[in-house]
Amino acid sequence: MTQPWITLRSEETLTLSAPAVVVKDLWFAYREGEWILRGVDLQIPAGGFWAIMGPSGAGKTTLMRILAGLLPFSRGQVLLLGHPLRGKPEPALRRLIGYIPQQLGLVRGLTALENVLLGSLARHDGWRTALGFFPRAEIERAMALLEMLDLADRAHEKVFRLSGGERQRVAIARTLMQDPQLILADEFVSDLDLPRAAQVLALVHRLVRERGLTVILNLHELQLVQEFADHVVILKEGRMVFESPAPDLTWPLFREIMEGEHEISSEITQELRR
Amino acid sequence: MSAKRLAVRGTWQSLEWRRWRELWFSLGLVALLAWLLNGMGFFEAGRLIQGTSNLARFVQEMFPPDVRILPTIAGALLETLQMAFAGTLLGFLLSFPLGVLGSRTLFPAGVVVIVRFLIAAIRTVPSLLWAVLMVIVVGLGPLAGTLALALYTVGYLAKLYAELFEAIDPEILEAMRGVGARRRHLIRFVLWPESANAILSQLLFMLEYNVRASTVLGLVGAGGIGFYMQAYLGMMAYSRLTTVLLAVLLLVISMDVLSAWLRRRYLLHP
Repeated sequence: MTQPWITLRSEETLTLSAPAVVVKDLWFAYREGEWILRGVDLQIPAGGFWAIMGPSGAGKTTLMRILAGLLPFSRGQVLLLGHPLRGKPEPALRRLIGYIPQQLGLVRGLTALENVLLGSLARHDGWRTALGFFPRAEIERAMALLEMLDLADRAHEKVFRLSGGERQRVAIARTLMQDPQLILADEFVSDLDLPRAAQVLALVHRLVRERGLTVILNLHELQLVQEFADHVVILKEGRMVFESPAPDLTWPLFREIMEGEHEISSEITQELRR
Repeated sequence: MSAKRLAVRGTWQSLEWRRWRELWFSLGLVALLAWLLNGMGFFEAGRLIQGTSNLARFVQEMFPPDVRILPTIAGALLETLQMAFAGTLLGFLLSFPLGVLGSRTLFPAGVVVIVRFLIAAIRTVPSLLWAVLMVIVVGLGPLAGTLALALYTVGYLAKLYAELFEAIDPEILEAMRGVGARRRHLIRFVLWPESANAILSQLLFMLEYNVRASTVLGLVGAGGIGFYMQAYLGMMAYSRLTTVLLAVLLLVISMDVLSAWLRRRYLLHP
């Protein structure tokens, strides 16, 4: 069981130098002929905070679920941390990728601490954990994470009693517990008001810096993207229509891309790159 | 007439037409009920009058209740309660895994169809018939009643649980699969805590139901207070029967109170 882990660890220098995500000509449809993604090309280097923007129905969540290995795709190529993604990812690769869905996917009837501990399941998948017994070291680690996220006093509270911002932090702690290199989060601050969302994103930003993580986030608010993200891409009707460093995406440009019917934005992208 | 007025008139007509259709449908239902009752002799005046006077005589003989038999029936009442508790718990222990196997959340359609068929087959047999079958299998006494209640419980709870598990938010399962959770972890950390409220609520409902059901199992020799019900009815000792019925009523009300308290005390309110 430990073999793949060791293999990946020994390749760590290689994987770190490899881009975190490479997507080549990715097509996807839930129903035949109705393409959600139409030939997406994307390359995200390791380390950094990337935001994906775009109107509803642009394919952002679909792209995220494909990258998380939860949605099999038929056309195109995806490389995660240098490893090609085909069908379900290997457990060793999966544990390097943290995924936070839109509604966070927390178990409401469990406590914050228990939810965080679930992040260690990939390391301890035996019957002991299935009965609810986690190694002491993992419990201490989960508590340390909760403490770091300012949630130590809420550790034994059931998740349904926590506020929106607290739940967000529990979801982050669960993902960090997994010890990932890449974190994918699907619009996970969209239910928070702007100040709270900014707090959570500031935290994510800090983690990216301190731990050298790669974080890819679907976001709606341009202000937040400008303030916290390093880089931004815009998806529209299943195509990538824009990519630039986050500060370069201004309001007028953003509006033009979102409202424009034809893809003038690709020219703008090139201009910006020059 | 303007196009707008025509449109309004069209809406009014279709609304009126719908109201008439609902009215005719309701009248049709009432007519069907009358026809069915008539077939059973419900509207025969002589029979109704005879029935009412029979009932009056029966009620007269039922009172006052004969409380001298209380020590005799106390043991049987306790046995009834034991049967209900043991039967419900045993049924629950079987229902949970069957519910898991019968939900598409975690298992492939092939397994689900077979398990759902099995659950439906168990549910088809009424508890009294299960009691008769169990008396044949394990002989007279409370064990037969307990097994009968357990099987009856499985028929209902397993189906309800399977449906509960299928209603679990798929995003939670997805997030858990994302952290590398296996099926056993999903059962322990998602299915159970996410449905705990509903699981306990339905378990309590089943317990209340089984307390009621266990009172009649004695009619077929499967233990409990039902034996005395049948005996006093056979002996036409109606005042004693009243005592038994009042004792059962007290038991059922106590169960309802206990169950309401347990719900208030232990059920979570997310």
